[in-house]
Amino acid sequence: MSATPAALLVDRLTKVYADGTHALDALELRVPSGCFFGLLGPNGAGKTTVINAAAGLVRAPAEKVYVFGHDAVRDPRARLLLGLAPQEVHLDRFLSARDLLVFHGRFFGMRRADATVRADELLTVFDLMGKADTKPNRLSGGMRRRLLIARALVHRPRLLVLDEPTAGVDLVLRHELWRYLRRLHATEGVSVLLTTHYIEEAEALCERVAFIRDGQIVAEGSIAELRDCFGGERLEDAYMEAMQT
Amino acid sequence: MTTATLRDVQRRGTLALAARESQRVVVLWTQTILPPVVTALLFLAVFGGALGSRVGEIEGLPYLTFILPGLLVLTVAGSAFSNNSTSLFQAKSEGYIEDVLTSPLQPWHFTLAYMAGGLVRAFAAAAVLAAIATPLTGGVENAPLAVASLLLTGLVFASLGVITGIWADSFDQHAFVANLVVVPLAMLGGVFYTARTLDEPWSTLTRLDPLFYLVDSTRAGLTGVHEAPVWISLTVTAAVASALFATATWLVARGWRLKP
Repeated sequence: MSATPAALLVDRLTKVYADGTHALDALELRVPSGCFFGLLGPNGAGKTTVINAAAGLVRAPAEKVYVFGHDAVRDPRARLLLGLAPQEVHLDRFLSARDLLVFHGRFFGMRRADATVRADELLTVFDLMGKADTKPNRLSGGMRRRLLIARALVHRPRLLVLDEPTAGVDLVLRHELWRYLRRLHATEGVSVLLTTHYIEEAEALCERVAFIRDGQIVAEGSIAELRDCFGGERLEDAYMEAMQT
Repeated sequence: MTTATLRDVQRRGTLALAARESQRVVVLWTQTILPPVVTALLFLAVFGGALGSRVGEIEGLPYLTFILPGLLVLTVAGSAFSNNSTSLFQAKSEGYIEDVLTSPLQPWHFTLAYMAGGLVRAFAAAAVLAAIATPLTGGVENAPLAVASLLLTGLVFASLGVITGIWADSFDQHAFVANLVVVPLAMLGGVFYTARTLDEPWSTLTRLDPLFYLVDSTRAGLTGVHEAPVWISLTVTAAVASALFATATWLVARGWRLKP
């Protein structure tokens, strides 16, 4: 481990699911601390598996995934440092939007009063205060997506992991989310790992990008570096080239 | 972060999950607390009231008094089991369990917190039943023993509910355990009869049912009447509760049916 540990370090992680699917093949990935990092790849490339291994939603061996130097499997401190907004929106339908955020904060060890203050702060930031007492199944798709991202932020993680946060989201909301994420990254210094199918989203937000294919990272660098490496005017050209070589 | 601070974080997280589970029980009280109370009162009315006078006394007790401890055990067992198996199954099938699985809670915290919800439901239902029924059956012989026996009942079936909730991928599987494991255990556990009045092999089979010991020690606490030595009843059920809790925690730690 270096003196300043990476926000996320994946060290030759292989993952084979019970049905025999090889999701990850000795994958290596380093997300620098403080970086807005994009992970791009086609469906089934292994993006969600990497993220879920870091967040504890997929069974993974110990000493393969580290969050700010803490083993994601063995050390619960790793969980406190990571906030996850999964691809699918799954929200507890028995709780109101505010309670959902408060309980999340409390699951992560916050005192009730602190969690309530933080929940209200995030409800305001994500324009959900008017729906604070509404249950998730009464919210629109866009509101639920925002609530999911707010939930990931309640316990003040140092690494925010967003798995396709704008998939199926209309253009206006997508730009709103970009605005939230830029502000969060700039003002709170939160490291962000973003997976997306939208190349323009990665171009708009990410400082560094990795391409993933068949469970392996095939290229990683700044957007300029990737364009230089693979050629082309845009990141999309580099991506297409990387996926075809 | 020091180990002590981390433990504090996990303690608060465990209490929060227990609170979330208990809140669900209270909010859904017409589905969680009312049905087991009504069922037990119907058993009391039919077996204790309508048929009790024909049955006469068992072990020197009026039939209503004889069956009340067993009905309390059934209420606690059924409520603790179904609460945990249903809540966990819902969280799993609807996906929001990920909020807990990504938290810093250890597997035993997870198991304990889910069990707390089942125990709240079980004791709320049992308290209502006891408040209605005990004035009809007389006083309580040994309250701490009765409470300890009911607590052990809750622990056994709350753990079994967690295991079932983790295992079940459909409501059919959940119902399978409820109908083919819990109900037979309940019916063969000596709620309505004494084991010593049965012929072999039924007498021995009844004594192999852990619920028999829970009913027997609860009956000892409420009425002073029992078949097995109380220390054996408490030891057997404490061992079963410990084994089931350890099994549930081990399954959570492995991520069995919770994580791909």
